[in-house]
Amino acid sequence: MRHIIATTFGVCLFASLAFAQTKVSLKDPVGDDDGPGTYTYPTDPVYKPGSFDMTSFEVEEKGGEVIFRVGIRVPVEDPWDSKSWGGNGFSLQFIQVYIDTKPDGGFCEGLPGLNIQFKEGQCYEKVVLISPQPKERLHSEVQQKAGKLKEAVVIPKATRARGKVIEAVVDAKDLGGPLGKGTGFQVIMQSNEGYPDAKDLLTRKVNEYAGQHRFGGGSDYDCDPHVMDILVPPAKGGKDEIEAQHEALAYTCDPNNPNAGSRAKIPMVYP
Amino acid sequence: MRRFWGFLCFLLLCEGVAFPDTKNFDFAGKIYTKWLYRNNDTQGILSYGNPFWPDDIAGDNGVGSEFELKVFGRPSKFVEAYARIQSRFGELWQDWWESGERKYGDQVNTSGDSLGMNRASYMKLRGTYVRAIVPFSKTWRNTVTIGSSDLGMFNPWTIGKVRFIDRDNGKGVFINGSVSNIDFSYDLAAIALPKLYVGPWWSTGIGDPELARPFYSQDWAYGAKFAYSPKWGAITVISTLTNDIEVDITDPDAVGSPYAQCKDSLGNPIVGCSKDHAVDYHTRYMNSVSTVEATWNPEDIPLIANVLAGVSVQRLDKRLTANGVALNQGVSPIVYKDTESYAVRVRLEASDLGTKGLTLKGEYFNIGEDWNSIFGARREADVLLTDGFLGGGQLPTLNLANEFMDFDELFYESCIGWHGGTIIASYETGGFEGSLESTFIWYNTNKQNRDVDFTYPDFLHSEGYTDTDLYDYANTTDRGRDPRSVYKRNQDRRTWIEVLKLKYGFDLLKGADISLKSKLIYDKDYRSHRTVEDDYTGLITQSRLAFGVGLYRGLRAEVGGQFDYWREDNRKGTLEQGYGDDRTYKGKGFFGITWEYEGLKFRYYFEYVYKDQEREREPDQLFKVFRSKASLEVAW
Repeated sequence: MRHIIATTFGVCLFASLAFAQTKVSLKDPVGDDDGPGTYTYPTDPVYKPGSFDMTSFEVEEKGGEVIFRVGIRVPVEDPWDSKSWGGNGFSLQFIQVYIDTKPDGGFCEGLPGLNIQFKEGQCYEKVVLISPQPKERLHSEVQQKAGKLKEAVVIPKATRARGKVIEAVVDAKDLGGPLGKGTGFQVIMQSNEGYPDAKDLLTRKVNEYAGQHRFGGGSDYDCDPHVMDILVPPAKGGKDEIEAQHEALAYTCDPNNPNAGSRAKIPMVYP
Repeated sequence: MRRFWGFLCFLLLCEGVAFPDTKNFDFAGKIYTKWLYRNNDTQGILSYGNPFWPDDIAGDNGVGSEFELKVFGRPSKFVEAYARIQSRFGELWQDWWESGERKYGDQVNTSGDSLGMNRASYMKLRGTYVRAIVPFSKTWRNTVTIGSSDLGMFNPWTIGKVRFIDRDNGKGVFINGSVSNIDFSYDLAAIALPKLYVGPWWSTGIGDPELARPFYSQDWAYGAKFAYSPKWGAITVISTLTNDIEVDITDPDAVGSPYAQCKDSLGNPIVGCSKDHAVDYHTRYMNSVSTVEATWNPEDIPLIANVLAGVSVQRLDKRLTANGVALNQGVSPIVYKDTESYAVRVRLEASDLGTKGLTLKGEYFNIGEDWNSIFGARREADVLLTDGFLGGGQLPTLNLANEFMDFDELFYESCIGWHGGTIIASYETGGFEGSLESTFIWYNTNKQNRDVDFTYPDFLHSEGYTDTDLYDYANTTDRGRDPRSVYKRNQDRRTWIEVLKLKYGFDLLKGADISLKSKLIYDKDYRSHRTVEDDYTGLITQSRLAFGVGLYRGLRAEVGGQFDYWREDNRKGTLEQGYGDDRTYKGKGFFGITWEYEGLKFRYYFEYVYKDQEREREPDQLFKVFRSKASLEVAW
């Protein structure tokens, strides 16, 4: 009897540990930090090559917390001394992790400032903001600009950077519970803009030509996706994913009628 | 009536037109208000300002506002223009109406034309630039900027990014280019030297007793940066030259020349002297700093290796600059002689060692005793990993700027001559973050009988741990060593620094965290080798505990306290007069609120500082300081 109890306990413990460490590990190719293939970095020297080149994405569930880790090609730096304004130890990147937890429904429009939509049937229920900005600023911006999308927004309890990784910790209950099988993810690499456009949620714009603090290679109208790097299925980091990303972020824009044309429709990745 | 309907239709049509992100003409504005109060009798809204200037902008009590307007222009896709005008910060609300005209000279009056332009809130042009993009090909792009820049394209060792309040003051011609298919980029710059702080006597001539007619309109700094950034890392080479020239006063064409008639003092013609309506120049001061930096950043390995090596060369013409060490009580941003020096820094960082969240950082640094970066970063940058003595950052220059700031801002210290290493182990998991730093510093400036009378500046006050909480520039309150003071007559010093940081975030209201920072500094200086009577031993301990909680969306409060105990044997004195053992007890309690609401940002911070300084050779000192700072910022 003692053996049965011990075995049962062991199995349960193993099972619980296994569930406790649900892990998603995805890769993104190096050198695809150019949005739809044409984007260039701003001209200010703080934007070092590779700063917006995502190389990996991990999700780990541990003791009621979900940890998101985004790998960057180069060391994460803090040129604007974020600690002095209550920030999180990095300055340039702003990462949004979109999570599809339910087969149907969800939001299909990206947060303001990105100009993206999600593919039909691949919309999201939650979006985690991994930003250098302090929580108060995020709460205020979301309240002010996210509209109905604010119910999907999750602000991490901790956000930090080390080496070439930016990490955020979220309580699982804020995501609606543990992330089950079939959960979809999309990671949007943007740049932290402390003085954003009136409608943009802390995002940096992409224009036709790069400016000191503006990405280039897009359009001066808000019809291009303001996104530097994303994941694309199967998210194993293959070179073919570079072209797949360019296709996913493809758009058309008519300066004479910027509201027409096709917007970028991006996919979820279901590991 | 038809015209009215036509006009209305025009307006409606306009409403439907989409505008691009970059309009031809755009504005951005900001209003910033600051309240500063302390239980003393100084008036002004900058806690720390240099008292030696006849200025009235520094003080601890007041409230003032400033307005900033940025204008952006985009005449074409390839050309952008920028201008920033901003009101002068210094007018208190109580000034009510102050034209700044000083109509009645320095007489006391209540007319409103009494206090000078600092109190007038006049709008001043702070900076302009015109930037043109010149794409030579799809892969080779150039950007030419003419006008203002924050000089951030180089590094803190060479030409440093200027502090935020100076961000548009630096002007020059800047060329930035990149060739994307070979991962190569470059920056070339010619920068007008600031006449106010770069050079001997903190100027390019003004105020130098040796110069009757300072000539600064042809003083420039030059910089070149070449960077190769392949996938595995980066190699960056930077070379800069700071060059301050003056007119050759012996040239007969120079105004004020004693040889204007090409005759000597006895009236005899000077052989070879002739007027040609052109004057000759000499270099008064030159500082050239170059660095090579290589970063290895292998893909798929959580390791970063970085090496930086640099050389600094200084030349000065003693005929054209007076000795600031001898004539200004040792307060000088340069060593008064020609110098050559070096700097080496090696960094290694390994993340996620064995387990996720465990990081180890190591750094070796060796900065020569004669290194100087006269145009390097003065604050808001940091070249070493260590928390250092003051917590703000270490910079390889004597030209630091710990002024025009508030009591809640950190101080920067000079690391010239520092030689040692730092190891930081950190662990992060869930809401927990912890790190432990160990730093050992040996000093290349250790020397006996150093000439601090005529050559090496000691900044007058070289002894005792620096109290940045209660800092005063004239050191009337025994605040300790000047952060720029790296040279002493007799020094044989070594320092050990330990810093523990812990933080834990947990679920309470809108998120809460508790943090602890403890620092231990063991500082030993045997000073003169002739005696043991002057040996300094400093044991500095600091512990700060804070609790922060998000109360509501955008609203956060923080409360905490700090306790310092400094035991300093032979803190200060002279061999002749003797030294004293001093003890300092300092306690601080604080609370603060941050509120972000619909584009409005408000911050309030209050603290009480209690300091008891028990001094062996002088009367004890007691400080009971209440002070607060609030700011309100709205940008649109």
